[in-house]
Amino acid sequence: MSYVNGLKCRECGREYPKDVLFVCEYCFGSLEVDYDYAKIKKSLTKESLKDRPKTMWRYAELLPIDKEPTVGLFSGFTPLLKANNLARVLGVRELYIKDDSVNHPTLSFKDRVVSVAISKAREFGFDTVACASTGNLANSVSSQAASCGLRAFIFIPADLEAGKVVASQIYNPNLIGIEGNYDEVNRLCSEIASKYRWAFVNINIRPYYAEGSKSMGYEIAEQLDWKLPRHIVVPSAGGSLITKLWKSFKELEKLGFVDKVNTKVYCAQGQGCAPIVTAIKEKSDVIRPVKPKTIAKSLAIGNPADGYYAVDTVRKSKGWAEEATDEEIVEAIKLLAKTEGIFTETAGGVTLAAAKKLIEQKVIPEDESIVVCITGNGLKTQEVVTKSLPKLTKIKPNLASFEEHIKNGDRQKIAENKVIEYYI
Amino acid sequence: MAKRIVKLTFPQKLVKEPLTFQMAKKYNILPNIRRAKVTETVGELVLELEGQEQDLDKGIEFLKKAGVIVESIVGDILE
Repeated sequence: MSYVNGLKCRECGREYPKDVLFVCEYCFGSLEVDYDYAKIKKSLTKESLKDRPKTMWRYAELLPIDKEPTVGLFSGFTPLLKANNLARVLGVRELYIKDDSVNHPTLSFKDRVVSVAISKAREFGFDTVACASTGNLANSVSSQAASCGLRAFIFIPADLEAGKVVASQIYNPNLIGIEGNYDEVNRLCSEIASKYRWAFVNINIRPYYAEGSKSMGYEIAEQLDWKLPRHIVVPSAGGSLITKLWKSFKELEKLGFVDKVNTKVYCAQGQGCAPIVTAIKEKSDVIRPVKPKTIAKSLAIGNPADGYYAVDTVRKSKGWAEEATDEEIVEAIKLLAKTEGIFTETAGGVTLAAAKKLIEQKVIPEDESIVVCITGNGLKTQEVVTKSLPKLTKIKPNLASFEEHIKNGDRQKIAENKVIEYYI
Repeated sequence: MAKRIVKLTFPQKLVKEPLTFQMAKKYNILPNIRRAKVTETVGELVLELEGQEQDLDKGIEFLKKAGVIVESIVGDILE
Protein backbone atom coordinates (compact mmCIF):
# COMPACT_ATOMS: atom_id res chain seq x y z
CA MET A 1 0.00 0.00 0.00
CA SER A 2 1.30 3.44 -0.84
CA TYR A 3 1.29 6.42 1.47
CA VAL A 4 3.02 8.71 -1.01
CA ASN A 5 1.04 11.39 -2.83
CA GLY A 6 3.87 12.22 -5.21
CA LEU A 7 6.81 14.57 -5.41
CA LYS A 8 6.76 18.26 -4.57
CA CYS A 9 9.20 21.07 -5.39
CA ARG A 10 10.93 22.38 -2.27
CA GLU A 11 11.06 25.87 -3.79
CA CYS A 12 7.84 26.56 -5.68
CA GLY A 13 5.65 23.76 -4.29
CA ARG A 14 4.70 22.43 -7.73
CA GLU A 15 3.50 18.84 -7.57
CA TYR A 16 4.75 15.93 -9.65
CA PRO A 17 3.77 12.25 -9.90
CA LYS A 18 6.01 9.70 -8.16
CA ASP A 19 8.43 9.11 -10.98
CA VAL A 20 12.14 9.20 -11.71
CA LEU A 21 12.41 12.97 -11.29
CA PHE A 22 14.64 15.06 -9.09
CA VAL A 23 14.54 18.67 -10.30
CA CYS A 24 11.48 20.90 -10.79
CA GLU A 25 11.25 21.60 -14.50
CA TYR A 26 9.92 25.09 -13.82
CA CYS A 27 12.20 26.58 -11.19
CA PHE A 28 14.95 23.90 -11.01
CA GLY A 29 14.34 23.49 -7.29
CA SER A 30 14.92 20.02 -5.82
CA LEU A 31 11.99 17.65 -5.41
CA GLU A 32 10.88 16.01 -2.19
CA VAL A 33 8.50 13.14 -1.40
CA ASP A 34 5.04 14.26 -0.29
CA TYR A 35 3.08 11.88 1.99
CA ASP A 36 -0.56 11.36 2.89
CA TYR A 37 -0.20 11.85 6.64
CA ALA A 38 -3.91 11.36 7.39
CA LYS A 39 -3.69 7.87 5.93
CA ILE A 40 -0.39 7.17 7.72
CA LYS A 41 -1.92 8.17 11.06
CA LYS A 42 -4.48 5.41 10.75
CA SER A 43 -1.92 2.71 10.10
CA LEU A 44 1.20 3.73 12.03
CA THR A 45 0.60 3.84 15.78
CA LYS A 46 2.71 3.12 18.85
CA GLU A 47 0.62 -0.01 19.31
CA SER A 48 1.21 -1.21 15.75
CA LEU A 49 4.97 -0.85 16.20
CA LYS A 50 5.06 -3.47 18.96
CA ASP A 51 4.93 -6.41 16.56
CA ARG A 52 7.18 -5.03 13.87
CA PRO A 53 10.77 -6.08 13.12
CA LYS A 54 13.59 -4.14 14.77
CA THR A 55 14.81 -2.63 11.50
CA MET A 56 14.26 0.71 9.75
CA TRP A 57 11.30 -0.86 7.93
CA ARG A 58 9.16 -0.74 11.07
CA TYR A 59 8.38 2.82 9.92
CA ALA A 60 7.53 1.69 6.36
CA GLU A 61 4.58 4.08 6.02
CA LEU A 62 7.00 7.01 6.31
CA LEU A 63 9.39 5.66 3.70
CA PRO A 64 8.71 6.21 -0.01
CA ILE A 65 8.34 2.68 -1.33
CA ASP A 66 5.01 1.25 -2.46
CA LYS A 67 5.73 -2.46 -2.09
CA GLU A 68 7.66 -4.54 0.43
CA PRO A 69 11.39 -3.63 0.60
CA THR A 70 13.56 -5.98 -1.44
CA VAL A 71 17.03 -5.08 -0.14
CA GLY A 72 18.49 -3.92 3.16
CA LEU A 73 15.98 -5.96 5.11
CA PHE A 74 18.16 -5.76 8.23
CA SER A 75 19.24 -2.13 7.91
CA GLY A 76 18.62 0.32 10.71
CA PHE A 77 17.50 0.05 14.33
CA THR A 78 21.10 0.46 15.38
CA PRO A 79 21.89 0.92 19.09
CA LEU A 80 21.26 4.18 20.91
CA LEU A 81 23.51 3.82 23.89
CA LYS A 82 23.72 5.96 26.98
CA ALA A 83 27.37 7.03 26.96
CA ASN A 84 28.00 7.48 30.67
CA ASN A 85 31.81 7.21 30.50
CA LEU A 86 32.05 9.76 27.71
CA ALA A 87 29.50 11.98 29.48
CA ARG A 88 31.76 12.14 32.55
CA VAL A 89 34.76 13.10 30.46
CA LEU A 90 32.79 15.82 28.68
CA GLY A 91 31.13 16.99 31.89
CA VAL A 92 27.52 16.48 30.80
CA ARG A 93 24.64 14.68 32.44
CA GLU A 94 22.76 12.84 29.69
CA LEU A 95 24.62 11.82 26.56
CA TYR A 96 23.64 9.25 23.94
CA ILE A 97 25.46 7.80 20.95
CA LYS A 98 23.37 6.77 17.94
CA ASP A 99 25.69 4.10 16.61
CA ASP A 100 25.32 3.59 12.86
CA SER A 101 28.88 2.26 12.74
CA VAL A 102 27.22 -1.15 13.10
CA ASN A 103 24.52 -0.67 10.48
CA HIS A 104 23.79 -3.63 8.21
CA PRO A 105 25.15 -4.60 5.72
CA THR A 106 28.10 -2.21 5.22
CA LEU A 107 28.62 -0.47 8.56
CA SER A 108 27.50 3.06 7.82
CA PHE A 109 24.34 5.17 7.83
CA LYS A 110 24.37 4.97 4.01
CA ASP A 111 22.78 1.53 4.32
CA ARG A 112 19.55 3.32 5.25
CA VAL A 113 19.37 5.51 2.16
CA VAL A 114 20.62 2.84 -0.24
CA SER A 115 18.07 0.30 1.06
CA VAL A 116 15.30 2.71 0.12
CA ALA A 117 16.92 3.81 -3.17
CA ILE A 118 17.50 0.31 -4.52
CA SER A 119 14.11 -0.99 -3.36
CA LYS A 120 12.57 2.00 -5.17
CA ALA A 121 14.76 1.51 -8.26
CA ARG A 122 13.46 -2.06 -8.49
CA GLU A 123 9.87 -0.82 -8.22
CA PHE A 124 10.62 1.47 -11.17
CA GLY A 125 11.95 -1.54 -13.09
CA PHE A 126 15.61 -0.51 -13.39
CA ASP A 127 18.14 -3.27 -14.05
CA THR A 128 21.18 -1.10 -13.31
CA VAL A 129 22.02 1.05 -10.32
CA ALA A 130 24.86 3.55 -10.06
CA CYS A 131 26.42 6.09 -7.77
CA ALA A 132 29.29 8.54 -7.54
CA SER A 133 31.04 8.14 -4.24
CA THR A 134 34.22 8.40 -2.21
CA GLY A 135 33.49 5.53 0.13
CA ASN A 136 30.51 4.54 2.24
CA LEU A 137 27.92 5.07 -0.47
CA ALA A 138 30.00 3.03 -2.95
CA ASN A 139 30.29 0.20 -0.41
CA SER A 140 26.56 0.11 0.29
CA VAL A 141 25.40 0.32 -3.34
CA SER A 142 27.92 -2.38 -4.36
CA SER A 143 26.78 -4.69 -1.57
CA GLN A 144 23.04 -4.19 -1.90
CA ALA A 145 23.05 -4.40 -5.70
CA ALA A 146 24.92 -7.70 -5.39
CA SER A 147 22.36 -8.98 -2.91
CA CYS A 148 19.52 -8.57 -5.39
CA GLY A 149 21.37 -9.30 -8.62
CA LEU A 150 21.30 -5.81 -10.12
CA ARG A 151 24.08 -4.54 -12.33
CA ALA A 152 26.02 -1.77 -10.57
CA PHE A 153 28.24 1.02 -11.86
CA ILE A 154 30.23 2.69 -9.11
CA PHE A 155 32.22 5.81 -9.92
CA ILE A 156 35.04 6.78 -7.60
CA PRO A 157 38.04 9.12 -7.83
CA ALA A 158 40.99 7.10 -9.21
CA ASP A 159 43.25 7.98 -6.27
CA LEU A 160 40.95 6.67 -3.53
CA GLU A 161 42.53 4.77 -0.59
CA ALA A 162 43.01 1.04 -1.14
CA GLY A 163 40.77 0.06 1.79
CA LYS A 164 37.76 1.81 0.37
CA VAL A 165 38.32 0.35 -3.08
CA VAL A 166 38.45 -3.19 -1.65
CA ALA A 167 35.25 -2.67 0.38
CA SER A 168 33.40 -2.01 -2.90
CA GLN A 169 35.36 -4.25 -5.28
CA ILE A 170 34.68 -7.37 -3.22
CA TYR A 171 31.00 -7.27 -4.31
CA ASN A 172 32.09 -7.34 -7.96
CA PRO A 173 30.40 -4.20 -9.30
CA ASN A 174 31.60 -2.26 -12.35
CA LEU A 175 33.95 -0.12 -10.27
CA ILE A 176 35.38 2.77 -12.26
CA GLY A 177 38.13 5.08 -11.05
CA ILE A 178 37.94 8.48 -12.72
CA GLU A 179 41.21 10.23 -13.43
CA GLY A 180 40.45 13.83 -12.74
CA ASN A 181 39.98 16.43 -10.07
CA TYR A 182 36.92 16.65 -7.88
CA ASP A 183 35.01 19.00 -10.20
CA GLU A 184 35.72 16.87 -13.25
CA VAL A 185 34.46 13.74 -11.52
CA ASN A 186 31.24 15.55 -10.59
CA ARG A 187 30.76 16.90 -14.07
CA LEU A 188 31.30 13.50 -15.73
CA CYS A 189 28.89 11.70 -13.36
CA SER A 190 26.25 14.32 -14.02
CA GLU A 191 26.63 13.76 -17.78
CA ILE A 192 26.53 9.95 -17.43
CA ALA A 193 23.42 10.20 -15.26
CA SER A 194 21.59 12.26 -17.86
CA LYS A 195 22.57 10.00 -20.77
CA TYR A 196 22.08 6.45 -19.44
CA ARG A 197 18.80 5.12 -18.11
CA TRP A 198 20.23 3.89 -14.84
CA ALA A 199 19.07 4.44 -11.30
CA PHE A 200 21.76 6.80 -10.03
CA VAL A 201 20.90 6.60 -6.34
CA ASN A 202 22.24 10.04 -5.45
CA ILE A 203 21.12 11.81 -8.64
CA ASN A 204 17.87 10.79 -10.32
CA ILE A 205 16.63 8.65 -7.39
CA ARG A 206 17.74 11.25 -4.85
CA PRO A 207 14.29 12.35 -3.60
CA TYR A 208 13.54 8.74 -2.55
CA TYR A 209 17.09 7.91 -1.46
CA ALA A 210 17.31 10.89 0.90
CA GLU A 211 14.10 9.86 2.71
CA GLY A 212 15.90 6.78 4.08
CA SER A 213 17.83 9.06 6.45
CA LYS A 214 14.62 9.84 8.34
CA SER A 215 14.60 6.35 9.84
CA MET A 216 17.50 7.40 12.08
CA GLY A 217 15.33 10.13 13.60
CA TYR A 218 12.34 7.83 14.19
CA GLU A 219 14.61 5.33 15.90
CA ILE A 220 16.18 7.93 18.20
CA ALA A 221 12.71 9.08 19.25
CA GLU A 222 11.44 5.56 19.87
CA GLN A 223 14.61 4.49 21.69
CA LEU A 224 14.18 7.50 24.00
CA ASP A 225 10.62 6.35 24.68
CA TRP A 226 9.13 8.95 22.36
CA LYS A 227 10.95 11.87 23.91
CA LEU A 228 13.16 13.85 21.58
CA PRO A 229 16.60 14.92 22.79
CA ARG A 230 17.12 18.62 23.57
CA HIS A 231 20.28 18.65 21.46
CA ILE A 232 21.47 16.56 18.51
CA VAL A 233 24.85 16.83 16.83
CA VAL A 234 24.90 15.66 13.21
CA PRO A 235 27.72 15.41 10.64
CA SER A 236 27.12 17.16 7.32
CA ALA A 237 28.46 16.49 3.85
CA GLY A 238 25.74 17.27 1.28
CA GLY A 239 23.48 18.48 4.11
CA SER A 240 20.75 15.91 3.54
CA LEU A 241 20.93 13.93 6.83
CA ILE A 242 20.51 16.96 9.08
CA THR A 243 17.53 18.15 7.03
CA LYS A 244 15.87 14.73 7.05
CA LEU A 245 16.40 14.19 10.79
CA TRP A 246 14.53 17.42 11.38
CA LYS A 247 11.82 16.31 8.96
CA SER A 248 11.50 13.00 10.83
CA PHE A 249 11.01 14.81 14.16
CA LYS A 250 8.40 17.15 12.66
CA GLU A 251 6.58 14.17 11.13
CA LEU A 252 6.47 12.42 14.52
CA GLU A 253 5.06 15.63 16.01
CA LYS A 254 2.44 15.79 13.26
CA LEU A 255 1.46 12.16 13.85
CA GLY A 256 1.20 12.69 17.62
CA PHE A 257 4.09 10.39 18.58
CA VAL A 258 6.04 13.15 20.33
CA ASP A 259 5.25 16.54 21.89
CA LYS A 260 6.15 19.74 20.09
CA VAL A 261 9.68 19.47 18.68
CA ASN A 262 12.04 21.31 20.99
CA THR A 263 15.35 19.92 19.73
CA LYS A 264 18.29 22.09 18.78
CA VAL A 265 20.17 20.72 15.79
CA TYR A 266 23.94 21.24 15.44
CA CYS A 267 25.92 20.76 12.24
CA ALA A 268 29.43 19.28 12.36
CA GLN A 269 32.00 19.47 9.54
CA GLY A 270 35.75 19.08 9.10
CA GLN A 271 37.67 22.35 9.14
CA GLY A 272 39.02 21.94 5.60
CA CYS A 273 35.52 21.48 4.18
CA ALA A 274 32.95 23.39 6.20
CA PRO A 275 30.79 25.42 3.80
CA ILE A 276 27.61 24.80 5.84
CA VAL A 277 29.23 25.60 9.20
CA THR A 278 30.70 28.79 7.72
CA ALA A 279 27.32 29.95 6.40
CA ILE A 280 25.70 29.30 9.81
CA LYS A 281 28.42 31.10 11.73
CA GLU A 282 28.43 34.04 9.34
CA LYS A 283 24.61 34.11 9.45
CA SER A 284 24.63 34.02 5.65
CA ASP A 285 22.09 32.54 3.24
CA VAL A 286 24.77 31.76 0.72
CA ILE A 287 26.82 28.58 0.74
CA ARG A 288 30.25 29.41 -0.67
CA PRO A 289 31.68 26.29 -2.37
CA VAL A 290 35.14 25.23 -1.16
CA LYS A 291 37.90 22.89 -2.33
CA PRO A 292 37.81 20.12 0.30
CA LYS A 293 40.92 19.58 2.42
CA THR A 294 40.18 17.40 5.44
CA ILE A 295 40.93 13.85 6.58
CA ALA A 296 37.15 13.39 6.92
CA LYS A 297 36.79 12.38 3.29
CA SER A 298 33.29 10.99 3.69
CA LEU A 299 32.19 14.55 4.57
CA ALA A 300 34.29 16.27 1.89
CA ILE A 301 31.60 17.81 -0.28
CA GLY A 302 32.66 21.31 -1.25
CA ASN A 303 29.39 22.37 -2.87
CA PRO A 304 26.66 20.71 -0.79
CA ALA A 305 23.44 20.10 -2.71
CA ASP A 306 21.28 20.54 0.39
CA GLY A 307 23.51 23.13 2.02
CA TYR A 308 20.88 25.86 2.02
CA TYR A 309 18.30 23.53 3.60
CA ALA A 310 20.81 22.38 6.22
CA VAL A 311 21.48 26.00 7.23
CA ASP A 312 17.74 26.64 7.33
CA THR A 313 17.16 23.59 9.55
CA VAL A 314 19.83 24.60 12.05
CA ARG A 315 18.42 28.11 12.19
CA LYS A 316 14.81 26.99 12.61
CA SER A 317 15.81 24.71 15.46
CA LYS A 318 17.89 27.49 17.10
CA GLY A 319 20.94 25.25 16.91
CA TRP A 320 24.47 26.11 15.89
CA ALA A 321 27.50 24.62 14.13
CA GLU A 322 31.12 23.76 14.74
CA GLU A 323 34.06 22.46 12.76
CA ALA A 324 36.90 20.11 13.75
CA THR A 325 40.57 20.18 12.76
CA ASP A 326 42.29 16.98 11.59
CA GLU A 327 43.99 16.64 15.00
CA GLU A 328 40.71 17.10 16.85
CA ILE A 329 39.09 14.47 14.62
CA VAL A 330 41.76 11.88 15.48
CA GLU A 331 41.60 12.73 19.21
CA ALA A 332 37.81 12.36 19.18
CA ILE A 333 37.97 8.98 17.43
CA LYS A 334 40.35 7.79 20.15
CA LEU A 335 38.23 9.31 22.93
CA LEU A 336 35.09 7.48 21.77
CA ALA A 337 37.02 4.22 21.51
CA LYS A 338 38.62 4.62 24.96
CA THR A 339 35.47 5.61 26.79
CA GLU A 340 32.67 3.71 25.04
CA GLY A 341 34.42 0.96 23.10
CA ILE A 342 33.20 2.25 19.74
CA PHE A 343 35.58 2.62 16.81
CA THR A 344 34.20 5.23 14.45
CA GLU A 345 35.50 6.61 11.17
CA THR A 346 36.60 10.18 10.58
CA ALA A 347 33.03 11.48 10.16
CA GLY A 348 32.25 10.23 13.67
CA GLY A 349 35.41 11.92 14.90
CA VAL A 350 34.19 15.18 13.37
CA THR A 351 30.82 14.90 15.09
CA LEU A 352 32.19 14.08 18.53
CA ALA A 353 34.92 16.74 18.26
CA ALA A 354 32.30 19.33 17.31
CA ALA A 355 30.04 18.20 20.16
CA LYS A 356 32.95 18.50 22.60
CA LYS A 357 33.70 22.04 21.45
CA LEU A 358 30.05 23.09 21.64
CA ILE A 359 29.86 21.72 25.19
CA GLU A 360 33.10 23.49 26.16
CA GLN A 361 31.75 26.74 24.71
CA LYS A 362 28.55 26.23 26.78
CA VAL A 363 26.54 26.42 23.57
CA ILE A 364 25.23 22.99 24.56
CA PRO A 365 24.41 23.08 28.29
CA GLU A 366 25.70 20.31 30.58
CA ASP A 367 22.37 19.37 32.12
CA GLU A 368 20.21 18.56 29.07
CA SER A 369 19.92 15.47 26.88
CA ILE A 370 22.34 15.26 23.94
CA VAL A 371 22.51 12.78 21.05
CA VAL A 372 25.68 12.47 18.97
CA CYS A 373 25.15 10.75 15.62
CA ILE A 374 27.95 8.36 14.71
CA THR A 375 27.53 7.48 11.05
CA GLY A 376 30.40 5.19 10.07
CA ASN A 377 32.88 2.53 11.16
CA GLY A 378 36.53 3.11 12.02
CA LEU A 379 37.72 -0.07 10.33
CA LYS A 380 37.24 1.75 7.01
CA THR A 381 39.60 4.64 7.79
CA GLN A 382 42.24 2.99 9.94
CA GLU A 383 45.09 4.86 8.27
CA VAL A 384 44.17 8.17 9.94
CA VAL A 385 44.73 6.85 13.47
CA THR A 386 47.56 4.35 12.87
CA LYS A 387 50.32 6.91 13.34
CA SER A 388 49.01 8.16 16.67
CA LEU A 389 48.69 4.73 18.28
CA PRO A 390 51.44 3.00 20.30
CA LYS A 391 53.56 0.41 18.53
CA LEU A 392 52.79 -3.25 19.13
CA THR A 393 54.59 -4.64 22.18
CA LYS A 394 56.60 -7.75 21.29
CA ILE A 395 58.01 -10.22 23.81
CA LYS A 396 59.71 -13.63 23.73
CA PRO A 397 57.39 -16.62 24.21
CA ASN A 398 58.25 -17.18 27.89
CA LEU A 399 56.94 -15.99 31.24
CA ALA A 400 60.15 -14.21 32.23
CA SER A 401 59.98 -12.05 29.14
CA PHE A 402 56.37 -11.13 29.92
CA GLU A 403 57.14 -10.27 33.50
CA GLU A 404 60.11 -8.21 32.47
CA HIS A 405 57.78 -6.34 30.14
CA ILE A 406 55.11 -5.53 32.71
CA LYS A 407 57.76 -4.50 35.19
CA ASN A 408 59.19 -1.92 32.82
CA GLY A 409 57.04 -1.22 29.82
CA ASP A 410 53.53 -1.33 31.20
CA ARG A 411 53.78 1.30 33.91
CA GLN A 412 52.62 4.07 31.63
CA LYS A 413 49.54 2.13 30.68
CA ILE A 414 48.60 1.54 34.30
CA ALA A 415 48.94 5.24 34.95
CA GLU A 416 46.83 6.00 31.90
CA ASN A 417 44.14 3.63 33.07
CA LYS A 418 44.06 5.37 36.42
CA VAL A 419 43.25 8.62 34.70
CA ILE A 420 40.34 6.94 32.99
CA GLU A 421 39.18 5.34 36.24
CA TYR A 422 39.20 8.77 37.83
CA TYR A 423 36.65 9.95 35.31
CA ILE A 424 34.64 6.77 35.54
CA MET B 1 22.98 23.50 -29.23
CA ALA B 2 23.67 22.52 -25.64
CA LYS B 3 21.97 23.44 -22.39
CA ARG B 4 23.40 24.03 -18.92
CA ILE B 5 21.47 24.70 -15.73
CA VAL B 6 23.42 26.90 -13.35
CA LYS B 7 23.05 28.92 -10.19
CA LEU B 8 24.82 32.27 -10.21
CA THR B 9 25.64 34.03 -6.97
CA PHE B 10 26.56 37.69 -7.28
CA PRO B 11 28.46 39.25 -4.38
CA GLN B 12 27.11 42.62 -3.28
CA LYS B 13 29.54 44.68 -5.36
CA LEU B 14 28.43 42.94 -8.56
CA VAL B 15 24.67 42.99 -8.03
CA LYS B 16 24.26 46.17 -10.09
CA GLU B 17 26.47 45.00 -13.00
CA PRO B 18 24.66 43.69 -16.11
CA LEU B 19 26.95 40.66 -16.29
CA THR B 20 24.35 38.12 -17.41
CA PHE B 21 23.40 40.33 -20.36
CA GLN B 22 27.05 40.93 -21.28
CA MET B 23 27.77 37.20 -21.17
CA ALA B 24 24.72 36.41 -23.29
CA LYS B 25 25.58 39.01 -25.92
CA LYS B 26 29.30 38.32 -26.08
CA TYR B 27 29.01 34.54 -26.41
CA ASN B 28 25.65 34.26 -28.15
CA ILE B 29 24.01 32.48 -25.23
CA LEU B 30 20.29 32.39 -24.55
CA PRO B 31 19.67 32.76 -20.80
CA ASN B 32 16.30 31.64 -19.46
CA ILE B 33 15.80 32.85 -15.87
CA ARG B 34 13.82 30.47 -13.65
CA ARG B 35 14.41 31.81 -10.18
CA ALA B 36 15.96 34.95 -8.72
CA LYS B 37 16.53 36.42 -5.29
CA VAL B 38 18.26 39.63 -4.31
CA THR B 39 18.91 40.44 -0.67
CA GLU B 40 20.90 43.19 1.02
CA THR B 41 24.12 41.29 0.65
CA VAL B 42 23.78 38.99 -2.33
CA GLY B 43 22.04 38.26 -5.62
CA GLU B 44 21.08 34.73 -6.66
CA LEU B 45 19.99 33.68 -10.12
CA VAL B 46 18.97 30.20 -11.26
CA LEU B 47 18.91 29.93 -15.02
CA GLU B 48 19.16 27.71 -18.04
CA LEU B 49 21.82 28.66 -20.57
CA GLU B 50 21.50 27.55 -24.18
CA GLY B 51 24.23 27.87 -26.79
CA GLN B 52 27.17 26.14 -28.47
CA GLU B 53 29.12 23.95 -26.04
CA GLN B 54 32.32 26.02 -26.41
CA ASP B 55 30.42 29.29 -26.01
CA LEU B 56 28.80 28.04 -22.81
CA ASP B 57 32.23 27.20 -21.40
CA LYS B 58 33.54 30.63 -22.37
CA GLY B 59 30.47 32.42 -21.02
CA ILE B 60 30.70 30.65 -17.66
CA GLU B 61 34.42 31.40 -17.50
CA PHE B 62 33.62 35.09 -18.21
CA LEU B 63 31.22 35.18 -15.24
CA LYS B 64 33.68 33.42 -12.95
CA LYS B 65 36.45 35.84 -13.88
CA ALA B 66 34.14 38.75 -13.09
CA GLY B 67 33.68 37.36 -9.56
CA VAL B 68 30.37 35.55 -9.89
CA ILE B 69 30.10 32.12 -8.19
CA VAL B 70 28.86 29.65 -10.79
CA GLU B 71 27.54 26.31 -9.54
CA SER B 72 25.84 23.35 -11.10
CA ILE B 73 22.23 23.29 -9.90
CA VAL B 74 22.42 19.79 -8.41
CA GLY B 75 25.49 20.56 -6.28
CA ASP B 76 28.33 18.09 -5.95
CA ILE B 77 27.42 14.55 -6.87
CA LEU B 78 30.42 12.81 -5.38
CA GLU B 79 29.50 11.76 -1.83
